Amino acid sequence: MSRLLHLLPLFIFTLVTISLLIFLDDEEKQLKTALMDKNFPSFSLNTLESPEEIADLGSFEKLPALVNVWATWCVACLVEHPFLMKLHEDSVIPIYGLNYKDDREKAIFLLEKRGNPYLFSLFDPRGSLALDLGVYGAPETFYIDKNGIIKIRHVGVLNHNVWEDKFQTLLSDE
Amino acid sequence: MNNFFNSFIVIIVLLPFSLFIGSQEEAEVYSFEEEVKSQRFYKLVGELRCPKCQSSNLLGSDAPIAKDLKREIYRLIQLGKTNEEIKKYLSERYGDYILYKPPFKKGTWALWIGPFFLLCFIFLWVLLWKLFYNRTQIS
Repeated sequence: MSRLLHLLPLFIFTLVTISLLIFLDDEEKQLKTALMDKNFPSFSLNTLESPEEIADLGSFEKLPALVNVWATWCVACLVEHPFLMKLHEDSVIPIYGLNYKDDREKAIFLLEKRGNPYLFSLFDPRGSLALDLGVYGAPETFYIDKNGIIKIRHVGVLNHNVWEDKFQTLLSDE
Repeated sequence: MNNFFNSFIVIIVLLPFSLFIGSQEEAEVYSFEEEVKSQRFYKLVGELRCPKCQSSNLLGSDAPIAKDLKREIYRLIQLGKTNEEIKKYLSERYGDYILYKPPFKKGTWALWIGPFFLLCFIFLWVLLWKLFYNRTQIS
């Protein structure tokens, strides 16, 4: 009995650790899934291509689609650029860009030089739509289904592996 | 050798001050016409977590996103939003993650009741141990 009592704290500690592991949500996951299964937030922004043109939710004509948050100052965005080009060239899925806190001329120049995978890019120099999306770092990629609902959010570089793991099955289901 | 040692000491002593050199550039001032609003602002940015640097609050973070969020909170306070409204606004976008004090719900309840459970267990353990110990003493 005495020996058992001595072991009790260890037992409780194990129990607490295991139950916390089971019942607590992963914090990172919370951050990334705040907008999951919700409508893409409404917005009214100029497009990168033309300062006069105003785009809103209705401008996302082709769905399902990806919304990709990018900027010229974002090195990882350059890394994923070739993969976005490939998705675009193979007509896998329409991609809309969200140019995030960037310089319009630099951004246009970059797309001219490296190719433009986007149907168009929204120009968000103050990060207002990005804030509504909970963006905390570029690149980020949102998958919107045919009803305009956010189904996937990926933070970080989108590449072939991520595409196969996260996106492909959802796209083939639609 | 002694010389080397001395300069080593000097470097070690001065090292902490390099932190201040780096942080001088941040001098964003949030001025409020009312002291209450200013207090609310600093309380909020102290309680909200930076999404980028993960273990820092907004107040202590220099990340661009933290600056944006501070500006947004400033704007919302000036618009007359309450603390609760501001927290809701941010957690709708960044999840409960951004709140250092998580709400009581599925996924966090273990965090809230856990310590009390633990306390009860410890009480029980001490009680049992005392009882058992006393009994062995007597016998």
